[in-house]
Amino acid sequence: MTRPRRTDGPPDRRPPHGSPRPSRRHFVLALPAALLATGCAAPHRGTGRPGDPIVLTLLSHYASGELKEALRGPVDEWNATHDRVKVRTTAVEFTDLLTTFMVRQAAGQGADILHPYCLWNGQLVRAGVLRPAPAEHAEEIRRGYSAAAVGAASVGGRVYGYPTELQTYALYYNKRLLRAAGVDGPPRTWRELEETAYRTTRRDRYGNTLVQGFGLSTYDDSTTVGQTLALLNAAGGAFVSADGRSTGIDSPAGRAVFGLEDRLVARGASCPGVNVYRAFPSGQVAMVISAGWWTGSLRSQMGADYRDVGVAPLPLPEAGGTRATLCTGFMLGVNTASRHPREAWEFLRWLNTERTAAGKGAVATRMSALQVSAGSLTGRADDMRALLGAGGGKGAARDPNLRPFLDALAYAVPEPNVPGAQRAKSLLRTNIEALWTGRRSVEEALRLTRRQVDQEVARAW
Amino acid sequence: MVNALVPETAERTPRARAVRSAVAGRVRHRRRQTVVAYLFLAPVLLFFAVFLLLPLGFALLLSTSRWSGFALGDIEPAGLDNFTGLFADGSTFLTPILTNTLLFALGTVALALTGSVLVATCIDRLRFQGVWRTLYFLPIVTTVVAVGNVWKYMYEPGGLVNGVLNAVGLDSVAFLADPDTALPSVVVVQAWASLGSAVLVLTAGLKSVPESYYEAAALDGAGPVTVFRRITLPLLRPSLLFVCVTQFLTGLQSFALITVMTRGGPGDATDVAALEMYRLAFGYGDWGTASAAAFVLFAVVLAITLAQLWWFRRTGEDA
Amino acid sequence: MTRGRSTGRRGVPWLSYLVVATGAVLTVVPFCDMVMTSFKGPGEAGTLPYRFLPRAFDLANYRAAIRQLDLPALFRNSVAATALITASVLLTSSLAGYALAKLRFPGRDFVFRLVLATMMFPPFLFFVPHFLILVHWPLAGGNDLSGRGGAGLTVSIAALAVPFLVNGFGIFLTRQFMVAIPDEVLEAARIDGAGEFAVWWRIVVPQTKPVLVTLGLLTFVDAWNEYIWALLVSTANPDVMTLPVGIQLLQDHVDPARTTPIVMAGLVLSVLPVLLLFLLLQKYYVRGVMLSGLK
Repeated sequence: MTRPRRTDGPPDRRPPHGSPRPSRRHFVLALPAALLATGCAAPHRGTGRPGDPIVLTLLSHYASGELKEALRGPVDEWNATHDRVKVRTTAVEFTDLLTTFMVRQAAGQGADILHPYCLWNGQLVRAGVLRPAPAEHAEEIRRGYSAAAVGAASVGGRVYGYPTELQTYALYYNKRLLRAAGVDGPPRTWRELEETAYRTTRRDRYGNTLVQGFGLSTYDDSTTVGQTLALLNAAGGAFVSADGRSTGIDSPAGRAVFGLEDRLVARGASCPGVNVYRAFPSGQVAMVISAGWWTGSLRSQMGADYRDVGVAPLPLPEAGGTRATLCTGFMLGVNTASRHPREAWEFLRWLNTERTAAGKGAVATRMSALQVSAGSLTGRADDMRALLGAGGGKGAARDPNLRPFLDALAYAVPEPNVPGAQRAKSLLRTNIEALWTGRRSVEEALRLTRRQVDQEVARAW
Repeated sequence: MVNALVPETAERTPRARAVRSAVAGRVRHRRRQTVVAYLFLAPVLLFFAVFLLLPLGFALLLSTSRWSGFALGDIEPAGLDNFTGLFADGSTFLTPILTNTLLFALGTVALALTGSVLVATCIDRLRFQGVWRTLYFLPIVTTVVAVGNVWKYMYEPGGLVNGVLNAVGLDSVAFLADPDTALPSVVVVQAWASLGSAVLVLTAGLKSVPESYYEAAALDGAGPVTVFRRITLPLLRPSLLFVCVTQFLTGLQSFALITVMTRGGPGDATDVAALEMYRLAFGYGDWGTASAAAFVLFAVVLAITLAQLWWFRRTGEDA
Repeated sequence: MTRGRSTGRRGVPWLSYLVVATGAVLTVVPFCDMVMTSFKGPGEAGTLPYRFLPRAFDLANYRAAIRQLDLPALFRNSVAATALITASVLLTSSLAGYALAKLRFPGRDFVFRLVLATMMFPPFLFFVPHFLILVHWPLAGGNDLSGRGGAGLTVSIAALAVPFLVNGFGIFLTRQFMVAIPDEVLEAARIDGAGEFAVWWRIVVPQTKPVLVTLGLLTFVDAWNEYIWALLVSTANPDVMTLPVGIQLLQDHVDPARTTPIVMAGLVLSVLPVLLLFLLLQKYYVRGVMLSGLK
């Protein structure tokens, strides 16, 4: 692993950026001239000479690990088989991704192809960063992907890119801990969820928690907000209204979710300060809501203990209700500032819709194959069935725990992606944390979240 | 060496002409000196025009505009909307962000001031003062990335601070992970890092207290506490003011340490105004609100600085 | 190293020694922890119970840091930016300081007040406009004359340095020292036929060498340690990443079991040059901080 900006594409044949230091000895006297002269090299573009290939840059957060390797495969394949258009990948860590998009765009150095988290689509579209998909691509996307995936990749009804990595939320549970507490199977309703949580919670004689019944964790956005939004969707609620200008958190559904979490914390079944990513694999958490990607890391972290892990659809407030859960995802879109949009879309079509043999008789798109190889999903249900059904590939594809996430593609609700959505999410997170740490009551937290988020999304339009 | 040519020429010419030419010479000389002076100042003035006046104007323009894109042509006037938005119902700018900023600055000043007064008065009695001062200086010449990361690691459950706490039989504290302790934990680091310069300024202040004052006090049989309260502290007033004002200024605007250690988290427990401004601009592309936030913070900084100057001047004869 | 004033007054001041030594230990311990941690092996750092000393002094972390950091590029960028800033601040400060101290011309008071006023504006006020000005710098980085179409100065290392090239405090400091140079000396040189530039270079600059060393050192340390602006510029263009930014990036990035020791090793490498320079020239640096107090 190297610095995240390390590229995986073909060797960079452009001349280096203008030699930045004046070479003369008494350069101090020539300072103003030197300053002017240093910046005159063109930024990240092709050489522009006729005959030289077009170089498309792709900026993602696949900076390390399995996904970095997985993306390298198809990109190398493209570069080996295409002479006129080459693709160069660059990556930064996810935490820096949005800032990097914005700063590079502001600096006129935005990559041709972007891989944003769909939550940011509203902001990026409003800032004029993303280019709407041309009609034929939009048509292909609408036809090929599940509704949640298309929704996440659209802003105001317009499609902006090819959905890639898709995450649905479901309930992880530890079969051993449930059995030990005399519970037969995973909960299907919230009442069962609460009872199971209280029954599985164990403390030592000093009051230290040994096993949390239900893991509520303030570790990061997806543990804090993801869990809450998944429960909110299951209760039929929505974080942001259909027109995107106000929040629906201060509703009976929102009250039910906050109330449930508040009770779990108050009665000691949840310890929000604990890092659930560490506690669950070591058998200190009985149940937790999380996304599908986690199966991969749990499998490698837990080894043989992974057979204790089960995954069930998200419990509903009442038995027999309509299933719903949260879905988050990424997409590949094209920069408005790109000089070669046609080539960029062409590459994306090749990567995302062209089907190839993916081993063991399964036929799938390159993107679907690469996501599944890294233990993740895409919004192409047919691909997913083919890849998971074939039982080929590595351990990932054989994992029955991926099934519930796959099934959820049919009913999952995309995370709202209005302008200001990232801010709204941060505000929600702060308020959830205040609720969990007992600094705010359910009603206060709901009211404050509504006021803050309404102000934020209203300002962002 | 003085040139002998000047009086000689004056002697050889008629008096009237001499005066006229002397005046003309002086005018010429002065004009030439004006040209030279502005040549010498040219880089500086040019810089200030491009990197001070222009940005100030630009920031003012942005703070009264809506601009969510990146093309200069998209800037639209928005009146004072950005400012009212900052203080609107539900906005987090006032609480907790500005409150955090003030607490951060106040905490840093209080800690650094107490610590430096204590250390400076003690150092003043010791040998090898230079060596001691050098030690206290190490954090100042160290990059904030190093300071932040070292302390972040020391605050971790398996880090040095908790190691010491456990060794003396105390429970571990989740310093940076707990919203209640995160801000104080960062304040301690900022104070730790700025102690050295405060100690330095105060030792200089102590050196200027005449020895005779102490001798007189000793003759009167005053104890060390009395000497400190009646002599040292009042005479140290200018140095204290200096430390106070500069540390407050730094505390109100610095966010590099917070960026390195907590990124404003957990939640918004350590989010400060300058960091929020940075994030609004470069994370969310909300240049208008970011610029408005910068001006509000500037107003706060200015008000607090002036208030300190006024307060010190009022309570003491010289400051 | 002055003798403590009250040693004669009251014997050995044990209490004072205790206070100062405690403070000094608290100051130095984090540095020791940094160095010790940088030698710790995988699984040794961050585990309970805490151990101060590493099991073995292994250089593996340093090798890993050097391998993962692309240190030559980071060093090159840091050195280039720091050199540019220091040289420019010294040059512009001494030129302007001389004009303001020793030349008589209309508008001098105004310019001097302007210089003082510039010190009032906090840097955060300028982040956004400075960045946008650099981006829209005419005829640079593919921009046209109106500053559009390209990346402006953000493509070059100059972007790291530009906002810091002139320093109001530096001008003020050099001016205060140049005022003390007797006018007769300068007048004599002028009568000898020396131009103002020669006067500045041959007489004023040598006479103010100590203050220039001080200013240079202050500027050097600040520029070397600068983080926020460098972070912004490196986000726009990773090719100009400086040492602090690179090391900060490292920490999200490597294998968690070994992250901390490797980060600490990187930090030791980046802190060392400045620390050594400071220890060598600390007399000048200390004076600079006393004069500015702005740290």
